[in-house]
Amino acid sequence: MNPRRLLALPLVSLLLIALLIPFVTGCARQDQDGARVAGNTLHLFNWNNYIAPQTIVRFEELCNCKLAQDYYSDNEEMLAKLAAGATGHDLIVPTGNAMDTLIRQGALKPLDKSLLPNLKNINPAYLDTEFDRGNKYSVPYAYTLTLLGFNAERIKELGLPTDTWAIIFEPEYLEKIKGRVTVLDSQRELMAAALKYLGYSANDTDEGHWKQASDLIIRAKPYWAAFSNTSYIKELAIGNLWVAHGYSNDMFQAALDATKTGRRFTIGYSTPKEGAVLALDSLVLHRSGHRPDLAHQFINFMLDGKNSAELTNLIGSGNPNTGAMQYIRPEIANNKAIFPDAELHNRLEMLHDLDRKKRRLLSRLWTEIKLR
Amino acid sequence: MRRGNIWLWSMAVLIYAFLYIPLAIVVLYSFNDSRLNAEWVGFTLSWYQALFNNTEMLTAARNSLIIAFSASLGATVLGTMAGLAIHRYKLKVLPILVFTPVAMPEILLGVSLLLFFLQVLNLTLGMVSIIIAHTTFCIGFVAIIVRARLQGMDESLFEAARDLGASRWQTFRLVTLPLIMPAVVAGALMSFTLSIDDFVITFFTKGVGEPILPIQIYTMIKVAVTPEVNAISTLLMLLTLVMIIIAARLESRASSGRVKMPREIVKQ
Amino acid sequence: MIKEAPRENRAARYLVSGPPLLFLVVFFVAPTLIMILTSFRFPGEFGGLAPIAAPAEKISGEYGFTPEAYQFFFSDVLYAKIFLKSFGVALATTLICLIMAYPLALLIARSEKRFRNLMVLLVVLPFASNFLIRIYAWMIILGPESAFSHFVNAILGAFGLAPVTLLFSPFAVLVGMVYVHLPFMILPLYTNLEKHDASLLDAAQDLGATAWQRFWRVTWPLSLPGVFSGSALVFIPVLGMFAVPDILGGTGDILIGNLIKDQFLGTRDWPFGSALSIMLTLAVLSVAGLATWFARSATGQRA
Repeated sequence: MNPRRLLALPLVSLLLIALLIPFVTGCARQDQDGARVAGNTLHLFNWNNYIAPQTIVRFEELCNCKLAQDYYSDNEEMLAKLAAGATGHDLIVPTGNAMDTLIRQGALKPLDKSLLPNLKNINPAYLDTEFDRGNKYSVPYAYTLTLLGFNAERIKELGLPTDTWAIIFEPEYLEKIKGRVTVLDSQRELMAAALKYLGYSANDTDEGHWKQASDLIIRAKPYWAAFSNTSYIKELAIGNLWVAHGYSNDMFQAALDATKTGRRFTIGYSTPKEGAVLALDSLVLHRSGHRPDLAHQFINFMLDGKNSAELTNLIGSGNPNTGAMQYIRPEIANNKAIFPDAELHNRLEMLHDLDRKKRRLLSRLWTEIKLR
Repeated sequence: MRRGNIWLWSMAVLIYAFLYIPLAIVVLYSFNDSRLNAEWVGFTLSWYQALFNNTEMLTAARNSLIIAFSASLGATVLGTMAGLAIHRYKLKVLPILVFTPVAMPEILLGVSLLLFFLQVLNLTLGMVSIIIAHTTFCIGFVAIIVRARLQGMDESLFEAARDLGASRWQTFRLVTLPLIMPAVVAGALMSFTLSIDDFVITFFTKGVGEPILPIQIYTMIKVAVTPEVNAISTLLMLLTLVMIIIAARLESRASSGRVKMPREIVKQ
Repeated sequence: MIKEAPRENRAARYLVSGPPLLFLVVFFVAPTLIMILTSFRFPGEFGGLAPIAAPAEKISGEYGFTPEAYQFFFSDVLYAKIFLKSFGVALATTLICLIMAYPLALLIARSEKRFRNLMVLLVVLPFASNFLIRIYAWMIILGPESAFSHFVNAILGAFGLAPVTLLFSPFAVLVGMVYVHLPFMILPLYTNLEKHDASLLDAAQDLGATAWQRFWRVTWPLSLPGVFSGSALVFIPVLGMFAVPDILGGTGDILIGNLIKDQFLGTRDWPFGSALSIMLTLAVLSVAGLATWFARSATGQRA
C-alpha cells in the first residue's frame, strides 16, 4: 500500500466537490447574482422563514443589491453570538426584551427617520414602547402572542374550557388530557403563563410569587407529555397532541397543516382571558453594519403595506402595519388570536429582561422544576 | 463455527435495520405529497423541485460538504500523528490535549473559539474558522481510534523492518501505515459525520452571509419540518456515497499494482 | 520496545508529535484558558461578561474576579444530582452500544476483505444525512399512533400489562442516544478486531476450546483496547448532548448538556456555564484516567 492512498481519497473527494457542486448550484444562481457587485450586499440576521421569498426578490430588484440572510432560532442564540463580538450584520430582528438588551449594550445604530417616510403606516399602539422610547432605534416588524392551541373537536367532546390557562395548570382538567399536552420549553414563557394564571404580572419578579408559580407548574407537570418549542406544531396537526402552549404563528401553521391534509378535526387557538405575552419583533441596525443606506431602504420597503402583508399571509404573524390590513387575507385579518381587539390588547404584556441575579435564580428554579 | 456465524449474521441484520429504518422514513417522506411527515399520501417530486430552486439551501449543502471534507482531512492527518506519537513515545501532555476536546461540551468549545478568533486573533469569521473549529474537536476521535489499533500490536513487525535496513520513513510507509489504515479510514469517516452534523460550534464560528446546512436545517425546523429538509438529507447521503465510491475507484486505479501485503515485505 | 539512536529518535518524536501539539495548543488550550478565566468572572448585566475593570462611568454591578460560579454550583445538591443522572444515562448508553456493536464489528472484521469497506461504509452512511432529521424520524417511529407503538402495546397487552407511551420518555432518550452514538462504538471495535490473527483462534480450536471459550479467552481480551476506546467515544459525547433529550425527552429528562446549553443560550450566564463545563470535563477526565489505568492493568496482565 502506498501512503499516497491515504491522501488520495479525501483529496480526490475535495476536488470533486470543489468542481462539481458550484457547477450544479451555479445554474440556479446565475439569474440572481447576475451583474450585482459582491460588496453590494445587505446582511440580515433573521429568524428562518421570517420574510416571504417574493418580497426578497422584489427588494433585490429595487435596490439592485443582494439580501443575504443569516439565521437564528432563538433571541438568546443571536445575543450570545453578538456578545462574543460577532460583526458584519446590518439588520437584526430581535424581540422586545432582546432589543432592550442590545440598546443598553450600545450595540445599535440610531435610525435616520428622514429615510423612513413609510413609518406613518405603523399602528401607534406598537410605537413608543417601554423598550425604545420615541423609536430611536427600532421599527416594529411583526408580533406573535403566546397562547393555547387545541384540537377543537376533542376538547369540545371532553367539555374543557379553552379560554383559560387553567387547562394546562389545573389537574381536574388535565386528568382528561393526560400525556396529550405540551408546554413551551422556555423559563420565561412558562413562568409568564403561570404568573398570569395566578393573577400576577408576567414580569413579576417577587420571589414568593415565583415560588407559587413554580409550585403550580410542578403540580401540573406529571400530566404534560413534554416541554416542546417546535414539535408541537406537527404533533397537534396529526392529532397526537390535544392542547399545546405555544406561539400564535405556530398554531396558525398547525391549523393550516391539519386542514390541508384533510384531518377530521380542526386546530383552534385562543388567548386565555387571564392575559398573555405579546412578543413584538423589530428591525434594528447593528452598529457593525457596513450598509446603513441599504438597511434604511430595506426598512422603508418593509413598512410598505403590501410587502408587510406578505409575511402575515405566509406565516400568520401579527402585523403592526395599518397599511397592510387591506392586503391581508380576511380569515387572518379577522382572527382575534392573531389580531387582538383593543379590549384583549390591554391584557397582553411584553416580557422585560431580568437582571443577572434574577436570571440565575430563575434558572435554578427551572432546573428544579425539570428535575422533579 | 457455522452456528456462531448465523447468530452473528442475524444480530448484524437487526443492527443494520436499526440504523436504516429511521433513514428509510426520511427518504420515503421526501417523495411524499404532504407537507406533514405523518402518513403516505402519494408520490411527488415537488420537494426536490423546490429544493433545486432554493439557491440558499444548495449553497449551504456545498459549504457544509467542503467544510466536512477539509476538517476531516485535517483531523485525520493530525489525529493519526497524535495517535502514533502517543503510542510510540509514551507522552504525558499530548494525550490530555487530544482527549480533552472530546470531553468538552461543544457549546463551550463554540463560545471559547468565537471569543478567541474575534478577540485574540482578530480573525474574520468564515469557512476557515469553521474548518479550524471542526478540526479541533475531531482530532481526538481520530487519535483515540488510531491508538486503539496500535495497542497490543506486534512490535516485532516494526523491529523486523528496521533490522532489514528499512529507513524510518520506509518503515512508516510500508509497515505502519498499511497496518493502521482501517483505523485511519474509520477516523476520517467519524470526523466527516461529526463535522457535517454540527450545529452549535458551526453557529458560533460562522461568518456572515454564508449559509451552512446544519444552521439552515436547525433554524428551519423551529418552523416545523418540511419534506424539503428530507430531500436535502437524502441528496446529501447520495452525494456522499457517490463521492466516496468515485474516490475509492480513482485511488485504487492510481495505486493498483503497487499494493503489497505488509507481511510479505517483512518476510522478504 | 524499539531501540534507536537517541538523537534520531528525538527528531522523529518532534516531527510526529509537533504538529498536532502545536495545533491544539493554539486552537484548544488558548480558548480553553479564556473559558477558565470566564468561570471566575461575573455575568454581564445584559449578557456576555461583566468587564474586569470598572468602566469610567460607573454603572451599578460587580467587576473583577470571583469564585461565585463555583460557590453557586456547590450551594445546591441539585447540580450534583444532574451530574449523577447524566453519568447514569451515559453509562447505560455505552453498555447498550457495546452489546449492539460487538457482534456487528466482529462480523465485519471476519468478512471477506473486499466486503469490509463496504460494510463499514454502510454503518456510517446514515450519518451523512442530518442529525436532527434522523431524530425527527425517531419521533415518527415512537409516536403514539405509530406501527411500532401499536406493536409494543399489543405485546404488553397480551401479557396483561398497561399500554405505555414511548415518545417523550427516558426510553426515547436512550434510543436516540444509542442511535446517534452507535457508529462511534462500531468503528473502534472493528478496527481492533480486524487485526486479530485468525491462527490464534484455530490454535484454540485445535486445543479443543468451545466457541464460547474461544471468544471469552481469546477474542474478548485482545479486543479490550477497542472496547475502551469505543466506550470513551460514546460515554463522553453523551454527557454533552442536549438535542436528544430536548426533542425526544419528556418533562423530566434534563441532562447536564441541557443545563450547560441553558447557561449560554437561555440564562446568559457564561461564568456558570463555563464552571459547569469545567466541572464536567474534570469529572470525565478522572473517569477516563481511571478507565485507562484499569485498561492498562487488564490488558497488561494478559499480554
